[in-house]
Amino acid sequence: MPFFGEESRTLGAYLKKHSARTGLWSGFDKYFISLMKAYYGDSATQGNEWGFHWLPRVTGDHSHFGYWLDMADGKLDGLFVMGQNPAVGASNGRLERKALAKLKWLVVRDMVETETASFWYASPEVERGELSPDSIATEVFLFPAAGTAEKAGTFTNTQRLLQHREKAVDPPGEARSETWFMVHLGRRVKGMAQQNHDSQNDPLRALTWDYSTDGSEAEPRVEEVLREINGSSLVDHKQLGHINDLKNDGSTKCGAWIYCGVFPDESRNRANEREPKDLLGHGWGFAWPNDCRIIYNRASARPDGSPWSERKKLVWWDESKQEWTGLDNPDCDKKIPPQAPTEIYNGHGVEALGGAKPFTLHPDGVGWLYVASGLKDGPLPAHYEPLESLIENPLYNQQTNPVADRKKRTDNPYAALHDARFPFVLTTYRLTEHHTAGGMSRHLAHLSELQPELFTEVSPELAAKQGLRHGEWATIITARALIEARVLVTTRMRPLCINGQDVHQVGVPYHWGYKGCVTGDVVNDLLVISEEPNVRIMETKALTCNITPGRRGRGRQALNQLASEIGKRA
Amino acid sequence: MSVTAFLTDSTLCIGCKACEVACKEWNGIDDDGLHWSGFSYDNTGSVGASTWRHVKFVEQPPVPGLGGNAGEQMSWTFSSDVCKHCEEAGCLEACPTGSIVRTEFGGVFIQPDVCNGCGYCVTSCPFGVVERHSKDGRAFKCTFCYDRQKAGLVPACARVCPTESIKFGEIEELRTHASKRLEELRQRGIHDATVYDPRDTTVGGTHAIFIVRGDPRSYNLPPHPEVPTAYLKKAWTSSVVAAGLLLGGTLLAFLLDGKRNARKLRR
Repeated sequence: MPFFGEESRTLGAYLKKHSARTGLWSGFDKYFISLMKAYYGDSATQGNEWGFHWLPRVTGDHSHFGYWLDMADGKLDGLFVMGQNPAVGASNGRLERKALAKLKWLVVRDMVETETASFWYASPEVERGELSPDSIATEVFLFPAAGTAEKAGTFTNTQRLLQHREKAVDPPGEARSETWFMVHLGRRVKGMAQQNHDSQNDPLRALTWDYSTDGSEAEPRVEEVLREINGSSLVDHKQLGHINDLKNDGSTKCGAWIYCGVFPDESRNRANEREPKDLLGHGWGFAWPNDCRIIYNRASARPDGSPWSERKKLVWWDESKQEWTGLDNPDCDKKIPPQAPTEIYNGHGVEALGGAKPFTLHPDGVGWLYVASGLKDGPLPAHYEPLESLIENPLYNQQTNPVADRKKRTDNPYAALHDARFPFVLTTYRLTEHHTAGGMSRHLAHLSELQPELFTEVSPELAAKQGLRHGEWATIITARALIEARVLVTTRMRPLCINGQDVHQVGVPYHWGYKGCVTGDVVNDLLVISEEPNVRIMETKALTCNITPGRRGRGRQALNQLASEIGKRA
Repeated sequence: MSVTAFLTDSTLCIGCKACEVACKEWNGIDDDGLHWSGFSYDNTGSVGASTWRHVKFVEQPPVPGLGGNAGEQMSWTFSSDVCKHCEEAGCLEACPTGSIVRTEFGGVFIQPDVCNGCGYCVTSCPFGVVERHSKDGRAFKCTFCYDRQKAGLVPACARVCPTESIKFGEIEELRTHASKRLEELRQRGIHDATVYDPRDTTVGGTHAIFIVRGDPRSYNLPPHPEVPTAYLKKAWTSSVVAAGLLLGGTLLAFLLDGKRNARKLRR
């Protein structure tokens, strides 16, 4: 569901803002009220706007970086970190780790003691004397977590496919699943709210939290959760089979409208079906929405309903049956014929799109190259230079994205254009041998031996220019931090020639940290915190840096070295 | 019992090293040590006592006119190496204890409980596959997942390969598949692809066939592998000749000496 802004003080205003008259978003009220019924059950009534006022409001930038900067400024008391290792994985790692020291409490749930859990005694800030275990007031709780094979549940991949997996083995010791942790934490918090009748606890008291548990460890039954997400009718208590079954009168509940149909009756978990019947994989798992394997597949047929290509056909109009049929479930109303006219200006719902507009989430039913609404930096794709760049934008006068959120502050500084201190381009990436911030790979010898040490890749030209020697060490410096890495000279890295200017690139994979069987400097310390305005993704692929031969200083010296490099004339 | 083989198609390999890890996990092999080599993305170096599958990273200068990479860019190809399981296996022939045997699947298997660590097999392998474990002393190499094959399972490396670069199956079927694949690659303009299947050499064919681009030597595959016992006849012949010559020489020496003594006596 969309975020709540200041403009959404009432349910009516909120629904109006996010509904559309035509297309699938015309059903927004059905999706939202069904969600409120799933959250609050009988407590959600038409009289209290289905509990709309109980929902927490968005008061600022609550993306990762938004709340991390709040944390750095001491505005956050506590934090839960599950399956994430921001001390290694997030931009401007120094700022991130120092911010953790401002918390009152920190809960980390992971399979190993990650850098995030050990920042208070093992981070470079402690080694350099910026933080000290004696003066950090953060109380750190490290909970052992069950691994993927040690718990049941579903994965949803980027292809929208839900796949259920069974538990293979019991987790060791006191390790438990996230579901276990959240259900039992919820029970306790709700129990406390029931003791205390303060009105701020109303949402907790209204919340439905009746998950049953199983076995000696009281593990929640995950299928029960998926059943709730799928949704059911509150009249006959039967599971819902299709998004079209959702109602806006409080007679249905549904945890996520797009997942509706994954659990169409009490005993049928479609995410757990494992007999693929065709090339598109129907019968293996469940793809949201409505098990459509290719989204907007109506576009595979001509406006008249016949396939554009016999070889690539997906769905088509069956004249004899008077319905859409084909190799995939049609991602459109099955019964609307291709000839049905478009009535975008006065019609309602998906019907108003007519029979030849495949993009049903858009109010006009067509795909958009020119995006008139919704994006903060539309309406057309444009080229901007990275926020830190060595060259002027060759296409426009506008150098960088004008609406990018730069989060500029003294502990998050940028290099300027043509900044002489940072004459090379830095790019970061991953290796197949390690998994993101390393919590699941740097603690395993069979993966660590494959990529045991942090290295930086440079071209022979850059190596010659900077005096870097293959196999030896280099220090990489940006406006935020400095790190050291082994030098790998390879012709795979090539200088670029842009507008007649040689641009050298420094490549660094980012997986290392200070815990595990292989360790190394945290590459993300080099990055700046920035946010693309629509989805709030940081820039990690193009920044500016300097690279010099030799290792960085140890302890305090590292800070002095950084200060002297940054202190040079820009 | 069908005679099986690996077909490793390096044109499909993405260098993920899943085969290496699956092999070590299934067979319970040690890591090679946590040492950075600086040799492309390869840090385990070669097939050896504690690495039975090994992914090679081959960086080569551009070859203009050949498909695949853009003409002006260097190529970066990967290939998963393994014991070749030769028909005429140097290691097996050199083993004095009978530890190394041929299995019913056609593979070559070292029985660790029989091996005494003499190391004759190490010097007799034409591919440099067999190695003595530095701590244990015995020789180790790919078992062709004999235990898995016995149970009707595919070897661990082939099972996990995400691109089907490592194929496992009946050897003649794989040979047919390899020639079809080569034809397909050539039709796509990849004229430098070849099948590495050294049947016309003294190893008499292998149970690990490869499809590679360019010179097989770039992938550590010798063009004419030789089993040391191929020189057995020559060696025996020269030994016999040498022995004959020595014997003849000795006899001659006695004979000449005897004549000289006879002359002395006559005088």
